[in-house]
Amino acid sequence: MSAMDTDATTVPAAPAAARAEPWRRRVLRTLLYGDVDRDAKARARVGLAILAFGAVYAIIAARLVMFAVAPESHFTRRGVARDAVATARPDILDRDGLILATDVRAPSLFAEPRKIIDVDEATELLTAVLPDLDATELRDRLGSRRGFVWLKREITPKQRQEIHRLGLPGVGFLAENKRVYPNSAEVSHLIGHVNIDNQGIAGMEKWVDGHGLQALHLAGLATDRLQKPIELAVDLRVQHALRDELIFAATKYKVKAAAGLVSDVNTGEIVAMVSLPDYDPNSPKQANDPQRINRLTTGVFELGSTFKALTIAMALDAGKITLNSAFDARVPLRYGRFSIHDYHAQRRVLSVPEIFTYSSNIGTARIALAMGVEHHKWFLRKMGQLDRLRTELPESAEPLVPKRWGELNTVTIAFGHGLSVAPLQAVEGINALVNGGLLIPPTFLKRTREDALKLAKQVIKPETSQKMRYLMRLNAEKGSARKADVEGYYVGGKTGTSEKVVNGRYSKTKVLNTFTAILPADKPRYQVMIMLDEPQALPETHGFTTSGWNAVPTAGRVIARIAPMLGIAPRFDLPVADQLILAKVRP
Amino acid sequence: MRMFFRILNVCVVVSLIVAAAYVYEIKFESTLRAERVAKMRADIRRERDAIAALRAEWATLDNPARLQGLARRHLSLRPAEVTQYDTLDRLPERPPVIVQPPPVDAIAAIISSPDFTPMTGSVASQTERR
Repeated sequence: MSAMDTDATTVPAAPAAARAEPWRRRVLRTLLYGDVDRDAKARARVGLAILAFGAVYAIIAARLVMFAVAPESHFTRRGVARDAVATARPDILDRDGLILATDVRAPSLFAEPRKIIDVDEATELLTAVLPDLDATELRDRLGSRRGFVWLKREITPKQRQEIHRLGLPGVGFLAENKRVYPNSAEVSHLIGHVNIDNQGIAGMEKWVDGHGLQALHLAGLATDRLQKPIELAVDLRVQHALRDELIFAATKYKVKAAAGLVSDVNTGEIVAMVSLPDYDPNSPKQANDPQRINRLTTGVFELGSTFKALTIAMALDAGKITLNSAFDARVPLRYGRFSIHDYHAQRRVLSVPEIFTYSSNIGTARIALAMGVEHHKWFLRKMGQLDRLRTELPESAEPLVPKRWGELNTVTIAFGHGLSVAPLQAVEGINALVNGGLLIPPTFLKRTREDALKLAKQVIKPETSQKMRYLMRLNAEKGSARKADVEGYYVGGKTGTSEKVVNGRYSKTKVLNTFTAILPADKPRYQVMIMLDEPQALPETHGFTTSGWNAVPTAGRVIARIAPMLGIAPRFDLPVADQLILAKVRP
Repeated sequence: MRMFFRILNVCVVVSLIVAAAYVYEIKFESTLRAERVAKMRADIRRERDAIAALRAEWATLDNPARLQGLARRHLSLRPAEVTQYDTLDRLPERPPVIVQPPPVDAIAAIISSPDFTPMTGSVASQTERR
């Protein structure tokens, strides 16, 4: 406290010191500072200094608090900006957890043209490393005044290393997520594909985008790869077996296109879906080829005799006919200037099971006529055959329904001509016929029986469903589906051969064959649908092109392969359909 | 009073120095830890990317079409027939364990019998000579 000491001693001496000041200096001082109390002035100055320093420290303190509250905000934002170029997508798994689609990191090359010193040199060096880059376009891009341009997306690590060695200023890399499909063409139509920005543009990939991923990406949160994976209903092994057999059939019968579908009748899940020709989602350019569309959802077809199952179920369910009813199929049915013939003409009175197994057009047409046009229309609408079927897949097709639906339409639609539906739609309908009468919308996502029951709609009586199972099984024992009766799995099914329309007329040689199998027929669990477009006759098929000679054996091979995978235990020495299924219906 | 202020002043100066040193220490530590966290985050990210790449590769190698091709080329296996499947409860009973009788060694039996005295023809024993 020395200052206090000096104060105490100097204060009395101050007037003396002031007086001792030479007069010239006093004048100067008065001129400069005015004649005020210097003590008061000094105190004011100190006060000002305290205030200024106080303010500075307060600002520093406030800033410190701000830093403490938002730690590292600066760094994290920069980190996100470095990776968030292409959206991270959730993995897509099959029903057993096998990977169908996943993300890997791939470097992408970009440039900041404003920072580039010598455009020509940079162009020359880059085209040397990446020969597939167009030199003129590259020069234009580098010469532009923009802040950021992509040069090439998804380069290999080796290329990255080489470009890094070039040491070009203003050229850099960003790690991007790249979608890979390890099974290439195996699940193509089902899973769809993504564009270069990792946005889904087809199949389930597009569905994923529509369900939250887009919003997540806009919020800048979709960079984490820990998103919950999406589990599909498809079983990769079943899918492979189906595709393998379809490829075999396609080469054997020289078809234009082939398609197959395996569906769980009790939950509506699609366990496998193949449409050939397909494409590799890793190179999605092929997907634009119109030949490679997914025929099961985006194509509509006249499915032929498969529809007879619906017609007969309609009449049985309404109680208008029983299994013992008989219909006259002795002569072709004349309707106006048309006459309806039978392919396997029996020329006698047929019972309902005979109509089904001989696939009698005349018989089914008579049944439909007996029910009436309005009832027929109402029933098909109830079975979901007249409206567009929407699933998770973005691609869907509207059925081609006749605008004016008269009796002639009912006659032809009864045996599957004159109404074109997507095959997936028909699968949904047949599922309802055999699963106890529940119409369950098909799904590509995993679904439990409970969830399926919540969505299900009772469309026909359980007894009618039981009778349909009997008819289907009978067809495999005595009718056109004998070649699909794989021993041990109690298969039932309905064939369909429809003549294709060529130049406005039904062709006799170009046919579209379908076969719908259910297994096991006494308590169905799965439906297998096979469709072959324009199969050729072979010596082995004795010159026939009907479904029983190509689609049915294909289905048999498929069933023999997939039934063990689906966990269906083979049973032998089962009684025939009359005893096993029909006995439960009749009191 | 003056003495008190002097001591207080010294205390304040000392505590200021200590506080400054302590704050520096904390600051240094936290920077270090923040760096470690950032490094670990980068490591985790890299590991995850590596795992993703490996999983993708595994899935590619595990693809049924590829396995089928390899199996056809290198193995003599065929797809299982329907008759080759069966349930566990239809397995026959385990066959009874057949106990083999111990092998009979005639010579060993003679050697181990109590009334066996070794006799050789070449050298007579001492006792017999007497």
